[in-house]
Amino acid sequence: MSKTAQPNDGPTVRRLQLGARLRSLRLAKGVSRDQAGWAIRASESKISRMELGRVSFKERDVTDLLKLYGVDDPGEHERLLALAREANTPGWWHSYGDVLSTWFQNYLDLEQAAELIRTYEIQFVPGLLQTDAYARAVIMLGHGTASKEEIDRRAHLRMARKQLLTRETPPRLWAVIDEAVLRRPIGGVDVQREQIEALLEASKLPSVRLQVMPFSSGGHAAAGGAFSILRFPYPDMPDVVYIEHLTSGLYLDKREDVDAYSAAVGRLVIEAEPPDRTPEILEQALRNLKG
Amino acid sequence: MADGRPEIPKLDTSVPQTARIWNHLLGGKDNFAVDREVGDQIIASLPQLAENARLSRAYLARAVRYLTGEAGIRQFLDIGTGLPTADNTHEVAQAVAPDARIVYVDNDPLVLAHARALLTTSAEGATDYIDADLRDPEKILDAAGRTLDFDKPVALFLMGILGHIEDDAEAKAIIASIMSRLAPGSYLAMYDGSDTSEANNEAVRIWNISANPKYHLRSAARIAGLFEGLELVEPGVVPVTKWRPEADAPEIDQYCAVGRKP
Repeated sequence: MSKTAQPNDGPTVRRLQLGARLRSLRLAKGVSRDQAGWAIRASESKISRMELGRVSFKERDVTDLLKLYGVDDPGEHERLLALAREANTPGWWHSYGDVLSTWFQNYLDLEQAAELIRTYEIQFVPGLLQTDAYARAVIMLGHGTASKEEIDRRAHLRMARKQLLTRETPPRLWAVIDEAVLRRPIGGVDVQREQIEALLEASKLPSVRLQVMPFSSGGHAAAGGAFSILRFPYPDMPDVVYIEHLTSGLYLDKREDVDAYSAAVGRLVIEAEPPDRTPEILEQALRNLKG
Repeated sequence: MADGRPEIPKLDTSVPQTARIWNHLLGGKDNFAVDREVGDQIIASLPQLAENARLSRAYLARAVRYLTGEAGIRQFLDIGTGLPTADNTHEVAQAVAPDARIVYVDNDPLVLAHARALLTTSAEGATDYIDADLRDPEKILDAAGRTLDFDKPVALFLMGILGHIEDDAEAKAIIASIMSRLAPGSYLAMYDGSDTSEANNEAVRIWNISANPKYHLRSAARIAGLFEGLELVEPGVVPVTKWRPEADAPEIDQYCAVGRKP
């Protein structure tokens, strides 16, 4: 696993990464948040927000903290300052700012930088596996009164995101979908059929593992609802849980929260049909549609 | 799908599990608070253990390269897979021989789910995953027969797992029942913790207070005894760092050997 910066990462990931590194360095030196805050003329809670990757970084603050933490290796010094600079450089998807809320831009930052995306969906096909027509049908459900132009732009963005799975070093997408996703004809039977055929194709990609949670499995692990857990190729960076709400997105990266969702996804992947059964299940779903 | 689904084992995050503790020691993220707690206690007692875990994985990779390269083995039966990490058996084997076939066996449901999703084969080779306990070699052999051809040599991997079988006679009986079904020219490769230092003994004592299942250290002589009837490959029973090393490394309290069935 590489510790160096990846070209696909966006500012959110850089902030999380730099924050996590600064926290490790501070703890290793036995410095309190209070003392660290003093060194950069700021409060203890500012240090806390920096370490959680919630705020941007001034190079001067980073330099002062590294001095306090006794980092005198010029290579490490320069690497962390570069992170601070990149934390202020937006990724390509930020050009969709007109149809993207900030919370979703942050999600795209994370998605582009992830090495493993585990996701559970109960209603819809995961965004990264949607066809254009299916994506439009889903977008219409949420933005029914939007102009055609806006819907085009949202659909275009969703299709652009999918290039992630076929780029040179793609992340692994490990998705569990409820059987209901295969039964509910979003956008009508034709759209649904094309979508299931696309899932069948996608399930052959080395970067995609798809498992179906059958109706026959009763009250299973994730009674809650859809969520994703993103993992990054940096040892210091914790997994991030992402839960999308109607008007906002929720990120969880505290250890006990991540543990709870990891346990949920663990139960789901254990209880769902194994990935090698997925083609057979999708073909049956296609036959049912024709039925 | 409605009927005939076998009883599915449950994920238990309230009891520390071997595979997840090792995952924590190796710097992985597929572990829970209970696993990290035990892992950190052991590390406090034996700081060297995390490095030992990495050095043992490095030995596993060298053993796979030796077996696929010099020994020409194309089939592997890897019992006690553990959670995916860097250099998994099939990745190392298929990097040398893309047509290599690997059967992974574990009895931890989380390990199996990860293996099925993440330890996936090259197009030319094959991987399969079996839910079974080391103590049930018949079940393992019957299921492995779907993927492996027992008329051709197979390398049996028992990496860090025989320590869970305390009794030497029982361990030998398990090895014998598997090796007897494998063709001449097959191999056994293993490593385990050794009782070669007081610190290692203490670390295992802490491990056994809460981890499941318990682990027992063997001496180098007892490890050699497990290879009865097999021809030891040079350099014999040695610390993992001394088995055909690619770089100079100190001796550690993890012993290993590779033996060939004549």
